[in-house]
Amino acid sequence: MDAIRTEALTKHYRVGFWRSRPYVALEGLTLDVRRGEVFGFLGPNGAGKTTTLKLLMQLIYPTSGRAEILGRPVGDVEVKRRIGYLPENPYFYDYLTAEELLEYFASLFGFQAAERRRRVATLLDEVGIGAERRLQLRKFSKGMLQRVGIAQAILNEPDVVFFDEPMSGLDPLGRREIRQLILRLRDRGCTVFFSSHVLSDAETLCSRVAILAGGRLVASGHLSSLLAFQVQGWELVMTGVSAEALEQVTRAGQVARATPFGVGHYAFELPLTTPPDRVLSELTARGARLVSLMPVRETLEDYFVRQVAEAPRDRGLQVSGTHAGR
Amino acid sequence: MQVVSHIALNVFKESVRDRVLYSLVAFAVLLIGGSYLIGQLTAGQDIKIIKDLGLAAIATFGLLIAVFIGIGLVWKEVERRSIYSLLSKPVRRHEFILGKYAGLALTLLVNVGMMTAAFYLVLVYLNTQTPENIRAVLPAPVADPGMLRAIALILVELLVVTAIALFFSTFSSPFLSVALTMGLWLIGHFNADLRNFEAVVESPVAAYLARGLYYVLPNFAAFNVKTQVVYGLPVPGSYLLTTAVYGAVYIGLLLTAAVVIFARRDFK
Amino acid sequence: MRWPALVLPIVFGAGVVGLQAIYERRGGPLPGTAENLLYVQSPRAIERLALAYDALLADVYWIRAVQYFGSTRLSKDPNKQYDLLYPLLNLTTSLDPRFRLAYLLGSIFLSEPPPGGPGRTDLAIALLEKGRRAEPDVWEYPQSIGFVHYWWRQEYKEAAAWFLRAADTPGAPEWLRPLAATTLAQGGSRASSRVLWQQIANTAEVDWYRNEALKRLRQLDAMDQLDQLRAVVDVYRERFGAAPDSWDDLRRAGYLRGTPLDPVGVPYRLAGGTVSLDPQSPLYPLPTEPLRLR
Repeated sequence: MDAIRTEALTKHYRVGFWRSRPYVALEGLTLDVRRGEVFGFLGPNGAGKTTTLKLLMQLIYPTSGRAEILGRPVGDVEVKRRIGYLPENPYFYDYLTAEELLEYFASLFGFQAAERRRRVATLLDEVGIGAERRLQLRKFSKGMLQRVGIAQAILNEPDVVFFDEPMSGLDPLGRREIRQLILRLRDRGCTVFFSSHVLSDAETLCSRVAILAGGRLVASGHLSSLLAFQVQGWELVMTGVSAEALEQVTRAGQVARATPFGVGHYAFELPLTTPPDRVLSELTARGARLVSLMPVRETLEDYFVRQVAEAPRDRGLQVSGTHAGR
Repeated sequence: MQVVSHIALNVFKESVRDRVLYSLVAFAVLLIGGSYLIGQLTAGQDIKIIKDLGLAAIATFGLLIAVFIGIGLVWKEVERRSIYSLLSKPVRRHEFILGKYAGLALTLLVNVGMMTAAFYLVLVYLNTQTPENIRAVLPAPVADPGMLRAIALILVELLVVTAIALFFSTFSSPFLSVALTMGLWLIGHFNADLRNFEAVVESPVAAYLARGLYYVLPNFAAFNVKTQVVYGLPVPGSYLLTTAVYGAVYIGLLLTAAVVIFARRDFK
Repeated sequence: MRWPALVLPIVFGAGVVGLQAIYERRGGPLPGTAENLLYVQSPRAIERLALAYDALLADVYWIRAVQYFGSTRLSKDPNKQYDLLYPLLNLTTSLDPRFRLAYLLGSIFLSEPPPGGPGRTDLAIALLEKGRRAEPDVWEYPQSIGFVHYWWRQEYKEAAAWFLRAADTPGAPEWLRPLAATTLAQGGSRASSRVLWQQIANTAEVDWYRNEALKRLRQLDAMDQLDQLRAVVDVYRERFGAAPDSWDDLRRAGYLRGTPLDPVGVPYRLAGGTVSLDPQSPLYPLPTEPLRLR
C-alpha cells in the first residue's frame, strides 16, 4: 500500500469577476509516494504545490481525478487520525498559548488529559519552543509560529506528514534542526512529503522528488536517476604549477578554463573530451602536485532550471471538451 | 460529539480573552449600573425606566456580541488560515460548524448571565431604597423574577441571530455578513408590519409577497415580551414554549444550511 | 451527510412555517407589546437625536404612524386606543415641518370617530395649525381645518370662516369662495357637502382619501334616495291607511319596479313603515344631518 497516491488530480479555478475564465492550478497530477519515503515536492512559486497539498487535506475539492492517503480516500477521518499537516505560513489563534493550542489539537484526537500533557511537553521541547510555552501566540515571531506548526503536525505521531515549505521563516540553525527532525521522522518509519522551492534541502533529504511547473508535473523519480549523475567534465586542482606548465596545458586546448587560487595553485576545468589522467601526468611531469580531481555533475538546481524553463507558461485551459468546474 | 465540545470550549476560551468582548460587556454593565442615575433624573417612573433600560441593554449588547464575535471568529479562522491545520485533524466540517456554534452559544450564555446579574443587583439595591407604600402600588415587584422570562426569550433570539451570523459568515465577507445579519434582524422586528401589509397596500402581488415573507423570515417580534414583563402583564407559559421551539427550529434550519454550504466550500 | 442535507432543511423549513402559523393563529404578538411604546415623545429631543437624518427619520415615523393607525383599526380589541397616533404624527411633522401629507392625512386619521379612529378633532386641528404655521401660503391647511369643523364638528360658521381664509390664500382654487358662501347660508346641506367631497375626490393625491370621498358622495346619494323612498311610503300609507310591510307591497301597488338598492348594491330595509340603510352596507352608518335642514 502506498502512502500517497493521486490519479490525474486536477484543479481549475475560475478567475475574473465579469468574464470569468478557468485557471489551471493543477492538471492531471499522477503520483505515488511509498511508505517510509522522504518525498520532495519541488517547483517555483505558484507551480501548484500548495494546491496539491490542499487537495490532499481536502481543504479544496478536485475538479477531477482522485487522491488516496494510506489506501483510503482523502478527507476520511480515519486517514486524518494518522496524518499531520503543516500549512504554508501557519497561523493560529491569537489568544491561546502554544501549550493551549497543542492541548486543544491533541484533544481533537481524543487523547486523555494526562496523555495530552505528556505529548505536548515533549513536543514543545523537540521543536525548541519549550521556554515560550506559556506565551500567547500573537507574540510569536514567524519562525516560532513555524515551529508551533511543525509541532502540531506531528502531535499524533503520524504515519504520513505533509509539510508545506517547512523551512520558510527559519534561520540557518532552525533549518538544520528541521532537517534533523525530518530524518528522525523517517527513521521512525514516518513518510514525509514536503514541498519546497529550496533545492538544497531536497538534495540532502529526499529519496525521491517530483518537480512541478505551471500546474503540471514535469519530472519525478529518484534524484540519482533524474540527474543521471552524468559526468559533464572534470575539475582538477593542482599546486606548484609553473608558468611553463600552465602555458603548456592551456595552449594545447585541453583545459577549458584555469582559475588561479594563489601562487602556483590552480583549478582547471576539463571538458569531457579530455582524459584527465593525461593532463595530470603532463603537469606532474613539470613538478606540480595533485590536490584533488573531481567529476563535474549536473546539480539539482541546473536540472530544475532546465525543466522549469521548458514547462509551458500558459495557465489558461485548452479549449477541448475538458470541463472546468468549482 | 466530543470533537464538537472541544471546539466549542476553544471558541469560548478564545472569545473570553478577546478585548472586544470585554469592552462590550463592561459597557453593558456600566449602562445597567448607570440606569440608576438616569432613573434619578426623571420624576416617578424610575423603576420602569431602569427596567426598560436594563432589558434593552441586555438585548442590544447581546446582539452586538452575537453579531461581531459570531462573524469575527469564523471569518478569522478562515481568513488567517488557522482552519487549515484544524481541518487536517480528525474533524469533519459539520463538526467544525456545530462546535463553533456551540462555543458562541456558550459565550453568549455566560455574557447574558453576567449582564442579568448586574441588572438584578441594581434592582435589588433599588428595592431596599423603595419605600413600602410605593412598592405596594407598583404593577410588578422591583426585582421581579418574572423578568427572567423576557431575558430567556432575548437569549433565544440572540441564539437565532448567532446562527444567522454564522450562516452568512460561511460564504460571505465579514462586512457583508454583518450588514446582512443586521438587516435580517431589523426586518425580523418589523415582522408585525408585514402581517398588516395587505391593509396598507393595494397591489395583491405585494400583499402575497408580504404574507410569504411573514411566514419565512425570522419573526423576532415574537421574542420581545419586554413591555409585558415590565408592566407585569401575563406571559403564558405556552407562549414561551412555542416561541422557544420556534427559535430552536429556526436555528436548526440555519445550521443545516451553514453546514451544507460549508461542506462544499473551497479554502483558496 | 447526503440525506440529512436534503431532509433536514425540509423538516426545519416546515417547522418554521408551521410554528409561525401557530403564532398567527394565537393572534400574533401578545397584548400590550412594545409597538405601543414610544420612548422619545418629545419632538425637541428627537430633533437633537436625529442628527443629519431628520428627513429620513420623519419618513420612518410617518410609516410607523400609518402602520400604527392601520393595525389599531384592524385589531379586534374592544378597548383599543389610538394613544400613540398624535405623538407619532407630531414627531413626524417636527422632524420634517413641510411633510404636507402627514398633516393632511394625519388630521383625517385623528378626526375619524371610534372605533375607526380616535375621534380627536381637537388634535386634528392642532396638527393642521402647526402645518399652517410652517407654511402659511398653503391653502390646503385652512381648507382642511374648515373641513374638520364642517364635517366632524358641524360648526358651520367656523367652517365657513376657514374656507374663506383658504380662499384668500394666493393660488387657492375658485370653488372655495362659493363653498364658504353655501356653508354659511345652509351649512350641512347635501348640496354644500356634495361640493366639498366632489372637490376632494377630484384633487386627492392618495387613493385612500379619494375612496373615502367617493364613499361620502355615495352616502349623499343614498340619503337622497332614502328621502324619495320615504315619500313613496308616505303616499302608500295615505292611500291604503297602513304602512307597507315589504317592498313587494309597494311593487304590487305599482309604485316600484323592484327592490330598491343603495348606491353600492345592497337592498334598503323597510320595517314597520320605516325605510333605512342596511347596517351590513359599506355605506353604513350615514352621517348625521343638522336637524334644521331635515
